[in-house]
Amino acid sequence: MDENALQGIRVLDFTWLLAGPYATRILADFGAEVIKVQSKKTATGIESNDAGYFSTWNRNKLSITMDMTHLESKEVVLNLVKTSDVVIENFTPRVMANWGLSYGTLKEVKPDLIMVSMSGMGQTGPWRDFVALGPTIQALSSITYLTSYSQDMPIGIGYSYADPLAGLFAALATLAALEYRARTGHGQHIDISEYEAMCSLLGPTILDYSINRNLTVPQGNASEHILASPHGCYKCLGDDRWCVIAVFTDEEWHALCRTMGDPLWAKQQKFSNLSGRLEHQGELDEFLGQWTSSYTPEEVMNMLQEAGIASGVVNSAADLANDPQLKSRGFFVQLHHPVFGNTNADGTPIRLSRTPARYRRAAPLLGQDNRYVYQDLLGLSEEQLGQYIEKGIIS
Amino acid sequence: MDLADEKASFCTKLLADMGAEVIKVERPVGDATRWRGPFWENMPHPEKSLSFWYNNTSKLGITLCLDSKEGQGIFLRLASNTDVVVETFPPGYLREIGLDYELLSEKNPRLILASVTGFGQAGPYREYKSCDIVASAVGGQMYVCGLPNYSPIKPYGQQSFYAASLFAAVGILIALRERSRSGRGQHIDISLQEAAAATLENVMARYFYEKVVPNRQGSLQWTNSACLLPCEDGYILITFNREWEILVELLDSEGMASDLKEEKWCEDAYRRQHVDHIIDVLADWTRTHTTAELFELGQLMRFPWAPVCSVGEVLSSPQLKARNFFIPVDHPEASTSFVYPDIPGKFSGLSWKIRKRAPLIGEHNAQVYHEALGLLPEELATLSSENVI
Repeated sequence: MDENALQGIRVLDFTWLLAGPYATRILADFGAEVIKVQSKKTATGIESNDAGYFSTWNRNKLSITMDMTHLESKEVVLNLVKTSDVVIENFTPRVMANWGLSYGTLKEVKPDLIMVSMSGMGQTGPWRDFVALGPTIQALSSITYLTSYSQDMPIGIGYSYADPLAGLFAALATLAALEYRARTGHGQHIDISEYEAMCSLLGPTILDYSINRNLTVPQGNASEHILASPHGCYKCLGDDRWCVIAVFTDEEWHALCRTMGDPLWAKQQKFSNLSGRLEHQGELDEFLGQWTSSYTPEEVMNMLQEAGIASGVVNSAADLANDPQLKSRGFFVQLHHPVFGNTNADGTPIRLSRTPARYRRAAPLLGQDNRYVYQDLLGLSEEQLGQYIEKGIIS
Repeated sequence: MDLADEKASFCTKLLADMGAEVIKVERPVGDATRWRGPFWENMPHPEKSLSFWYNNTSKLGITLCLDSKEGQGIFLRLASNTDVVVETFPPGYLREIGLDYELLSEKNPRLILASVTGFGQAGPYREYKSCDIVASAVGGQMYVCGLPNYSPIKPYGQQSFYAASLFAAVGILIALRERSRSGRGQHIDISLQEAAAATLENVMARYFYEKVVPNRQGSLQWTNSACLLPCEDGYILITFNREWEILVELLDSEGMASDLKEEKWCEDAYRRQHVDHIIDVLADWTRTHTTAELFELGQLMRFPWAPVCSVGEVLSSPQLKARNFFIPVDHPEASTSFVYPDIPGKFSGLSWKIRKRAPLIGEHNAQVYHEALGLLPEELATLSSENVI
């Protein structure tokens, strides 16, 4: 059997909430040893080991407890850093420095260390200490403004999309730095800004302004840059059930007409080519919506896809859990957790044929791996471990 | 080698910006994605697509007809000396033209092939057509975006392509690292649907752990403690959970707390249940301020508040400016440079940045075909006259 792809990489993980844990979950899924540093004081709310949110983002990771506000914790961390390849954190920039754990200090004990700092705004700049959650970043990046039916009222994305995407950039940067280290022998400090990550996913729209001074406004599911019509979301049979349809060519349009039984309205000259359909999009959407409303979204999707037209069900969480395609690919994975019993979560979309992700263990209990890390890795004796616990360092 | 359309051109852009030699392979008339707007000077033209420009920085560009026997032979020769191939064809197409993973890896066991498609290489929907709106729908993004009782909306931009591209790039670097030990490549299968479904934050966690099917609720976050509110000059994102007591004091100091000082509102659960009233009172207050005032005030108190910005405001952001996030990229054909967003991070070691504008159609044919295959100018001319290159 092939080894895990990231076998032998050890990551000391100070991250919390979503962006950071999302990055280290990817590394852990592919076999890196990720040691999550927690404490009784901080493992609360959605960071509590008993929370579904925590459980979702922290599978395959080890958990140790350490009170970072204890004066002697710094020495313990430095000893752990000596045996780690990567240190990763997503606090606001002053936190690690306040603990005396800046990159400069860590580098002294482990010269080729890769330290990854993720934050809302980045480690530098006038806004470096600003507080940001996913929706904060989304508002600043303009995606909140652009995701709406019209410019009268911004709506935005209904969840923290920027967090997992920043996590992906951080995972990518970590792997790039590992490659760089393998080649040069040097470690480095990486400063990921979630604000910049989100903006970089709006590149063409930013260029349209920086180069052409065109200020894009929200247009619902349409865009003058998508040369497709119909192209939108349509009501289907059932409670809050919808489908999407996208027709790019005249051939696909004719196939759509045939599938609908060649209704009279579709034969109108104004709908016969793309520019006509784009021009009369509103009217076309009305007609098409009347047709889709007699079918379930699954029926629409299957009929149209059989006819060679891009179409899909607007899947809710429940639909996703039962989606035939995701099911057949085993996208959701089940792990046994000592408290929750069987837990479900999305697996990784990164499907490697020879060294696939392995789902070895559910999210850890608080301090579940103290013994392994403090005794086996750091070589503390039973007595020393007891002292650390007594002093409140391990807590 | 980059055979990808828009679904994964951002993946190879990331690798090219990191310093990999990425060769974009286009059909002889130029890639279809060159017809995707917006365009420089608003003029549709294959050398003026801003979408193509952004998603193909730092790459070399060659042309090659993969539908011809001769083109397939040339690709096979190129691929035998290549680390990574990224492609986005419908599943099965590469097999049809004799360039599938089994065959390529026989010639070059170290090759990593990354395939990015709408639904993945296997499963009952593998041959179904996709595009960003389909991926967004089937991946669960749209159902939770928009107003209740209105049509779901798609997150702006081609987000499923960007998410899939990032997953593909991460997968490629993992496979490269593994290859340095085993000496063997592998096939990476990325589905747009899964890429969208894997970036839904709370949606599946709440479904699996709380048996809740998250719904559309406009700008109100699922926690019922953050939303967008109108100001004098725009909208602001306000959070009002952890911040409650300070926030009420603030409103009160301006005589706008209404009944929110009453004891019952101190209770978390009560607030969540009666969030509509809170929003009404807060909106009366935010309307009397500008977005800039509330942004400053909120951040001063360490609240994660922010104005809803347009693209113009992104470009004038003092933070992005101070970090040199926007950089000039030279466009010699336009006799000028244009401003691009760079890579979202700073690195003390590796050099990860936009190196060069996207290639012109066939710009590096002579260089690549000469260096990689030793083709002479006469041979190139023949291939060109046969529409292979």
